[in-house]
Amino acid sequence: MKTSVVRIHRHGGPEVLQYEDIALAPPAAGEVQIAQSAIGLNFADVYQREGEHGPHDSQALPITLGGQGAGKVVAVGPGVTSFQSGDSVAYICPGAYAAQRNVPAERLIKLPSTVSEEVAAAMLLRGLTAEYLLRRLYNVKAGDNVLVHAAAGGMGLILSQWAHSLGARVIGTVGSDAKVAIAKEHGCADVIVYTREDFAMRTMELTGGVGADVIFDGVGKSAFLKSLDCIRPMGMVISYGTASGNVGAFDLQLLHRKSIIVTRPTLRTWIARREDYEAAARTLFNALDASQVRADINRRYALKDIRLAHEELQGRGTVGAAILVP
Amino acid sequence: MATCRAGRTCVLQYDRSALNQTLPSSLRGGGYHVERIALSLSLKPAGKNIMNMKAIVLTEFGGPQALRLSEATIAAPAPGEVLLRHTAIGVNFHDCYVRSGLYRTLELPGIPGIEGVGVIEAVGAGVTGLRVGERVGWVSGRYGGYASHRIVREAEAIRLPENVADADMAATLMKALTACVLVTRAHAVQPGQTVLVHAAAGGVGQLLSAWCRHLGATVIGTVGNRDKAEVARAAGAHHTILYREENFVDRVKDLTAGAGVAAAFDPVGKDTFLGSMECLDFQGTLVNYGQASGPVEPFTPSVLATRSLSVVRPIVFHYVRNAQQLADLSARVFDAFKQGIIRPIVPIQLPLADAASAHEILEQQRSPGGVVLVP
Repeated sequence: MKTSVVRIHRHGGPEVLQYEDIALAPPAAGEVQIAQSAIGLNFADVYQREGEHGPHDSQALPITLGGQGAGKVVAVGPGVTSFQSGDSVAYICPGAYAAQRNVPAERLIKLPSTVSEEVAAAMLLRGLTAEYLLRRLYNVKAGDNVLVHAAAGGMGLILSQWAHSLGARVIGTVGSDAKVAIAKEHGCADVIVYTREDFAMRTMELTGGVGADVIFDGVGKSAFLKSLDCIRPMGMVISYGTASGNVGAFDLQLLHRKSIIVTRPTLRTWIARREDYEAAARTLFNALDASQVRADINRRYALKDIRLAHEELQGRGTVGAAILVP
Repeated sequence: MATCRAGRTCVLQYDRSALNQTLPSSLRGGGYHVERIALSLSLKPAGKNIMNMKAIVLTEFGGPQALRLSEATIAAPAPGEVLLRHTAIGVNFHDCYVRSGLYRTLELPGIPGIEGVGVIEAVGAGVTGLRVGERVGWVSGRYGGYASHRIVREAEAIRLPENVADADMAATLMKALTACVLVTRAHAVQPGQTVLVHAAAGGVGQLLSAWCRHLGATVIGTVGNRDKAEVARAAGAHHTILYREENFVDRVKDLTAGAGVAAAFDPVGKDTFLGSMECLDFQGTLVNYGQASGPVEPFTPSVLATRSLSVVRPIVFHYVRNAQQLADLSARVFDAFKQGIIRPIVPIQLPLADAASAHEILEQQRSPGGVVLVP
């Protein structure tokens, strides 16, 4: 059979995104075929389109973009026993920009009735990233001072809400005054506009001279080194992304000053084992169900309108999550 | 001239020109998170409430010869402090880095040394938990160890188990506290994990090997020669790697069926840093706690991304910032002695005047048991 997908045959701007039909084979052994109802849009898709693969391996062209989706199981391949036709599922797996596709069963998560396919498609990747960042890699506790960089960004909004709901005092940094209100609405007790305030100095002030217990840094280059100045002794600086560029080389002695731990994690390793993946998804779904984290889906695009979707995503004028509908 | 107020450690015979230098008011260089030693200069001779003592006074950074014995004075303990007469003084790699100038955490002129054991000779006002004649130890980032006497804050004093000799305790205290911090805080070792311990026959290395094994980990130790391999195995290492003859990264991969280790404890620094990182399993932690081979080259965090690795560079002082934390950590160490998890180190003993020789022995890795100075 055939299915509609969005692929790139070369790297570049939104114009390289091609909406086209390709052949879809029946699910192979261990695979499940899904008719997708929603596909999550991530900034990582833009990087991949441009040819920036970050810490991940590069892929051969043409590439079907997209990292997360949800829908109904329509067929299962040989050996698959844990899923059946009609199941509502979501996944994190490359190649999501498609109406219908095959996914290894080991990457599928069965959705509880409390979580819609739309919410799962929009939230799974960022939600599971937040889950490992603040529930496992660092376990946020009530009373912790948590600094979230780019608090009004896609990850920042989720981290701020979730950390706040766990009882932490969240300090957020944002790039403009216009983003202060949105960060505060999502759990930030204090918001620092880093373009006109020294965020390290302000964080030290706000924490009584002690520093933050943990810093979630998805910004990279422009935030990392200064973050070392406002972490508390023995605190953890988590560089989970590099939106402003890669962090340059730094001196280990900067960590010695305060026995700091620095880590540069990727989601992939934290959900590599099936039991971790399932447990993480359960934790996320419970957090969504308890409204500890909200899925603010405020943009929906038809899959064929992918170029517009990427243009608006890159414009960064938008807040909240976006999905593609095949 | 006002006599020494806060630190009460005063150099008596000292080059007058140095007195004209302005002592910096804050930590220089790395700006380590340790309190600056309160040391000022006085030419005032010993008088009321001030007594003479012997001390190694560092006046300029350099080689071991920079460590020279001088006459100095020390004042009576202020409220909350005691005067300790040292019976044994621990010598640590930290002291070598202070002496060389790599760490700019001791203001010059200053008395190096971060741990000691001794007997209380006088107590200041308001000291309730310590008595004259009592035997205590201390560790501190405020320095002042290489001296016959030191003023010790009550909150800094550690009551010691009776069955460990002073020299052994002075050789072990800082190293055991370090080992405890490394295996419980910097990386909490879990049963079933495999860990890499560099310099496994060294002072901290032996303690780490023993402690990690007790915690249920498989211990791979690197050592410089076959004799040291025996020492490391006796201490607790399951496997040893002769790093001069074998590629330790390849050997670790072999010994872990390609998986790598959960943590690497690395005091070697420059020569091993990236190799230690290569040895780590997914989500592994590189615990660097020294740089015996030289300072680690600057690195970018993105090298950690392929396997979600962490790097931590701990120092004990941050983990014992108040009396309760110090009491808890030292209780844990003494309990480990009592249970036989770790054994006190038996060091070489040298007179205080031979501090330079002590540093040479340490830097040339000639004593698995380390060195203590005896005033």
